[in-house]
Amino acid sequence: MNKFWTVLAFTVVNKFRTKSFIVTSLIIAVVLTIGLNAPYFIGKFQTDEAASVGVIEGSSELVPLLEQHVNDQEQTELVLVKVEDQGSLEENERVLKERIASGEMTGYLLFDETEELAFPTMTYKSEKTMDFGTVSQLQQALQVIKVQVVAPTLGLTTEQVSQINAPVVVNKVQISSGEGAGNVGDAGKTEGEIAVATGMVYVLVIVLFIGIMVSGQLIASEITAEKSSRVMEILVTSVSPLKQMFGKIFGMFIVGISQLLLLGAVVLVNLMLPHNQSMLTDMNLDLGSVGFLLIFYALLFYLMGFFLYAAMFAAVGSIVSRTEDLGQAVMPVTFLSMIGYFIAIFGISAPDSSLITVTSFIPFFSPFIMFLRVGLTDPAVWEVWLSIGLLAATIFVMGWLAAKIYRTGVLMYGKRPSLKELRRAMRAYKI
Amino acid sequence: MMIPLRLEEVSKQYGDKTAVDQIAFDVREGEIYGLLGANGAGKTTTMRMVLGLIYPDEGRISYSGKDYSEEVISQMGYLPEERGLYPKVKVCDQLTYLAQLKGMKRKDADRELKKWLEKFNVMEYYGKKVEELSKGNQQKIQFIAAVLHQPKILVLDEAFSGLDPVNVELLKATVKELRDNGTSIVFSTHRMEHVEELCQRITILHRSKTVLAGSIKEIKQSFPKEKIVLRTEQPIQGLEQIAGVRQVDSGEHGLTVHMDPIDAAQEVLQQALSQSAVHRFEIMEPTLNEIFIKAVGGEARE
Repeated sequence: MNKFWTVLAFTVVNKFRTKSFIVTSLIIAVVLTIGLNAPYFIGKFQTDEAASVGVIEGSSELVPLLEQHVNDQEQTELVLVKVEDQGSLEENERVLKERIASGEMTGYLLFDETEELAFPTMTYKSEKTMDFGTVSQLQQALQVIKVQVVAPTLGLTTEQVSQINAPVVVNKVQISSGEGAGNVGDAGKTEGEIAVATGMVYVLVIVLFIGIMVSGQLIASEITAEKSSRVMEILVTSVSPLKQMFGKIFGMFIVGISQLLLLGAVVLVNLMLPHNQSMLTDMNLDLGSVGFLLIFYALLFYLMGFFLYAAMFAAVGSIVSRTEDLGQAVMPVTFLSMIGYFIAIFGISAPDSSLITVTSFIPFFSPFIMFLRVGLTDPAVWEVWLSIGLLAATIFVMGWLAAKIYRTGVLMYGKRPSLKELRRAMRAYKI
Repeated sequence: MMIPLRLEEVSKQYGDKTAVDQIAFDVREGEIYGLLGANGAGKTTTMRMVLGLIYPDEGRISYSGKDYSEEVISQMGYLPEERGLYPKVKVCDQLTYLAQLKGMKRKDADRELKKWLEKFNVMEYYGKKVEELSKGNQQKIQFIAAVLHQPKILVLDEAFSGLDPVNVELLKATVKELRDNGTSIVFSTHRMEHVEELCQRITILHRSKTVLAGSIKEIKQSFPKEKIVLRTEQPIQGLEQIAGVRQVDSGEHGLTVHMDPIDAAQEVLQQALSQSAVHRFEIMEPTLNEIFIKAVGGEARE
């Protein structure tokens, strides 16, 4: 047991000390910080600058109404720039284009010739292709004006109009009908909570996948590196391969989880910043509504997924002699985890499909998919624990098999052995 | 007295190929035992069995009379032929790690390490990464890794390969010192001059079988002397005509006369004396190199 801890400590300390580990952690932390604060800053830059829209004075009776509407708004993001009528359309456009070129306005609005009484169609001309913000602002303003203009001609009062316009309200609440796994809770989940849960599940599935893949690859490459640098020759004469392998796996687990916790803390701190808090409140998202159970399951499935894949990666790493060959050798394991990941990503929009239900019991996929089901739907408790039980059993079998392969693999140099050669070697080594 | 390491009729098969066939030898306390053989002769498999990495199919390996166990691990040191350490880990960190794996306390390992670095005059490498060291110095560090935990049984595979003559002498002296302190050493190499200098007893393996075993002295005596080195003032003629002379080679430092049998040696000397003054006349013992080549046959030459 002593040597197990020695291997574990050596793995952890060395990983923490390597420059690449520190640098990647820092870079990810910085990227996360930027990413989390970006919406706020982008929003800030957008509101600062109101779009100036040119109109020809007197080209329509809507112009004064539009001007009045824009002026009435408290937070105006539109500024109307009136330009004198030059007589002809060509002349007008020439002047307006000049004004765009000089930066006075971003675009201009032309009122098309229409028949009497009908609401005119308009054309907004601008150099920008993606000026959706300005167009929708204009559209909104003109919609209001249209109602103002048209309603009286139909004999409707303003109240009647607003009654018609009032949206229909349907509140969505997710409830648990039976003995659910408990994530939904007795009170059910409101729309905002569902949104938070979906977002959380989405993020956590990605984190789960990346976390498992990255540490798994690291385990495989460290073992192969030990083999190719021939330190393995000394290691195998000092520690039993079993302790060596599990020491490495647990060590990497500590490394992986502390990196995740660190990055999680970075995210949390960033979200706690006042400007981000107010933005979340504006969007009606309360991160506090994320259930303790969801986090618990996230950790549980990370843990189990990690050990399952770590064992497989360790086994693969042990049979490869050269680092160059490793990429190819780990491919099957990578694919396996990728299948699970993609099914999960697909499942976010259809968590009730039978594909999801079935795959949530298949051990190699269940860390992603059962977690998704727990987060988004309401699987029965027995389903969840059956899945976890199957996963645990598979981890046990995989760990045992990986240890066997490892014990054989670390002594075999040269060409990557085929399954048959591996079996023969196992028999020869009496493993 | 207990024999620290004893192999009794040990055999190992890989599939239908026999890697080691009925090998038996023992290493006494304070002895360097030579294990010789061409590549593929079974040396690595033998050493791996001694180290407990693989189990013999037949026979028994005992360590001071006991079977292989956890306890034995900590008493064994191994210098593998293919050298390797963690390239990116500091010397002090990895050597104390490896010693800890052998059951040593970290503090003791650190103190021992400093002693060894001092001894090899490379104290400044204590905090350096292995990849920063020259190849020869990496070899020294590797050697320290094998002996740091004060093993009772030391397995050295090609201990001096890749070292310059000065460092070979340094390590040779160290190996002798370890032997004098009672360490049992299994010494495997292709370099016969090292074996002749260090070992009292050897085993020569060929195609997984023992072809020669015993003390070097006895082995040499069992092989007929059949070489004469002769240096004279004037060139000598007509040596080939003497009965029993097989071949005469002239080299930089005189003549080498191959005899079969050696009985006609006196005739050679008289013939030489009759023609010129003789500076050197010596009936040579066969060298280990010659014995090795004779024992394993020409095909083993690499």
